[in-house]
Amino acid sequence: MDDVTRRLLQRIVRRIPSQMLRPMLEKWGRLQQKQLGSIDFSLPKIAITEHLLSICQEKGWGTKHITELELLYVIDNPNVGLWHAFQLVDPEDDALMVEMMQFKEQFKSNLNKLVQNVSIKFKKHTDEAIWIRLAWGESFSKPNHFTPTFVVHHLQSSYVFMNNVNSKKKPLLYQALVLATRYQSIKHANLSGRKLHGIRDLLMKQYEQVFPSKFPSHIPERTEDKEKANNPLIEREQSASSSNRLQLACEAFGEGKLPEIQSAVYRLETKFRGQSKNMAQSKEPFKCVVTFSSTNLLESLRNCASSGIASTPVVPSATHVTYICGCVYGLSAHPFSRVRFGTWGVTPKGTLQTSAQSYPFSVFAVENRRRRRSHPE
Amino acid sequence: MEQKENRQSGERTPCSVALVQRRSKSYRQSYRSCLGATSRLFTPGHATRRLNSSRRAPRPRDIKEQLDPGVLSLLTRTEWQLSYVTPLFQFRHTRLKSYARQLSAFMAAERQQGVAVEVQGEEHTYRGRFSLLPGLVEGEGEAEAVLIQLWSRPAFSRADAAEKPVWSGWFSCVRGGDDYLRSLPPDFVGLPLFCSSGAESLTATVKAWFSRHFDCSFGALPLDQDTLQWVAALWANCHLEADLRHLTLLWEIPVSPPLKVSYAVEPLDAWTLWSGVRRAPSAVEEGVIGVGEVEEFVQELKRHFHRHFRLQLSAGNLTQVSSGLGAAKSSGRVKISSSRYLVSTLSLLTECALLKMPI
Repeated sequence: MDDVTRRLLQRIVRRIPSQMLRPMLEKWGRLQQKQLGSIDFSLPKIAITEHLLSICQEKGWGTKHITELELLYVIDNPNVGLWHAFQLVDPEDDALMVEMMQFKEQFKSNLNKLVQNVSIKFKKHTDEAIWIRLAWGESFSKPNHFTPTFVVHHLQSSYVFMNNVNSKKKPLLYQALVLATRYQSIKHANLSGRKLHGIRDLLMKQYEQVFPSKFPSHIPERTEDKEKANNPLIEREQSASSSNRLQLACEAFGEGKLPEIQSAVYRLETKFRGQSKNMAQSKEPFKCVVTFSSTNLLESLRNCASSGIASTPVVPSATHVTYICGCVYGLSAHPFSRVRFGTWGVTPKGTLQTSAQSYPFSVFAVENRRRRRSHPE
Repeated sequence: MEQKENRQSGERTPCSVALVQRRSKSYRQSYRSCLGATSRLFTPGHATRRLNSSRRAPRPRDIKEQLDPGVLSLLTRTEWQLSYVTPLFQFRHTRLKSYARQLSAFMAAERQQGVAVEVQGEEHTYRGRFSLLPGLVEGEGEAEAVLIQLWSRPAFSRADAAEKPVWSGWFSCVRGGDDYLRSLPPDFVGLPLFCSSGAESLTATVKAWFSRHFDCSFGALPLDQDTLQWVAALWANCHLEADLRHLTLLWEIPVSPPLKVSYAVEPLDAWTLWSGVRRAPSAVEEGVIGVGEVEEFVQELKRHFHRHFRLQLSAGNLTQVSSGLGAAKSSGRVKISSSRYLVSTLSLLTECALLKMPI
């Protein structure tokens, strides 16, 4: 059993939390019942790894089998690193009829033509998603299984999610995907985040969009409002305005659980309207970059609206994360400002630089499919 | 859509903020008068002192000749944790070598407290070094800044490996106020600002030694909103002479989960706004900035933000201000990246330290 396989197994066992180890191995399905029973899961991980290694050696399993286990674990816990969402554009006539087997074969053959020494593994998940694990190798070296790339594609949809793609291999991967899915090109959907389910739900509109018609007349009590909440007079006074706020917040964001995205960046280049005269006279727009970040951004924004920190009705720029898409967008409610992505940006280190592209690639800007906002009336 | 626009939020927000929502001309006048009232509200009840309502604009000062380049790079590249310290009794700048020896002995003694003495192997000892930092004073009567460093061999290294500084700290007093310095009893030295960088345990031990030897006490120095606003305004003021690169303010809005809003302004625009906010130089003394101007500057930025997102930044706390000249956080951590503006930033921080001191 070679060194790579051994290290790979050690790494995977280290990564999987102790309580998940047994269910994962059961799911993997390669171990027989009595072998599984013979492993003592209360021992330290090193001992379990040794035991597993000996079983693998006995059965003659190699890297191929171990990577299956890793793929299974990542499917269940996809929150590793940063996921980027991509959209396939310009479908050909038979794009919607691509089936799993066809996709698999096409993808494999295309990628193998483009790149040598790449190890590909497929897995179809229950929700119609195909998971692909790729380990890249150079012309004369074996695939490196320690920094795999994961790609998730939902068949019959035009979305692809990728994690940990090397910039050199990106174009080759795109090419293989585009050919296999029968589209003409692929572009970044401008949505990135740490939680795959969050960006997937947002992009594919799979979250609960509940728009209740009845709103409670009092907002849930927060600890600091305990004294106020206990006072029925204050409650009565505040009930109308708080239910109004809650209603508008829910109309903007929906009431159910919101997909988890972590940040949104807005680049503003608008005319500054203030009291200072020289700003009013200057023809140059006021440039700034605003970044909202939170563990669950949409939840924070909804909370801002319902607690009154953000004025209701919620402005399109705050809700556009769920509705509008496109690099250039205008706020129709505010005719004096044109918000667009400008020609300068803030890199993670905080230095400003001008860039020739009108929309740099690596920013966590949130975008979505254009959708007409349905009127409640 | 129109129906929604007509429905305004009826929430009663703090007075200065509620006035912003009305768009008539009269709100500007009422706002200005309200601003004066609210600034008075910030006075803490027990103390009559507040941050100076006006201060001189920072001037760049070249301290490169006076300081060792290694020390200068240490001062400008490290993030310091601030504390205030009460005046030191019988601290002599001439006895630094003996203080260094005593500190080293104290560190060794502290390590051995309750720990079994090793049979073999060299102890992980710390050697203290005190040095003067000349040039970090603004006026007469102020004590020179003192730098303390703890050097030690890295763990698991060979016996002849070089020692490296593992902890640094320095005392300083810049523009401490003549009244204050004169009011100190004799034998007391005022060095109210203490900056430290390194392991917390070492900081605590050094503080313990100082408090024992010089009868002083230390305390944490968080930077409040006013101070951070001053930092932002003073840095915006420096744009002509220094490369600001960006001016970023970070707010934390208290919703669940907490929302962080980072507002980065291009330096030229920030400077244009700042110079617009400043009153005409003929009206006030040249080079003096008033607190009203600072508050107006930040308020204008918040208003611009509100216009786009309808989110009240005043509901949150300003937690960090950063630019090309450094970064200041509300937890009391600062980094001053520019050696030319080191002294002027220190004067603001010294004032905060003096304010926080419980005398």
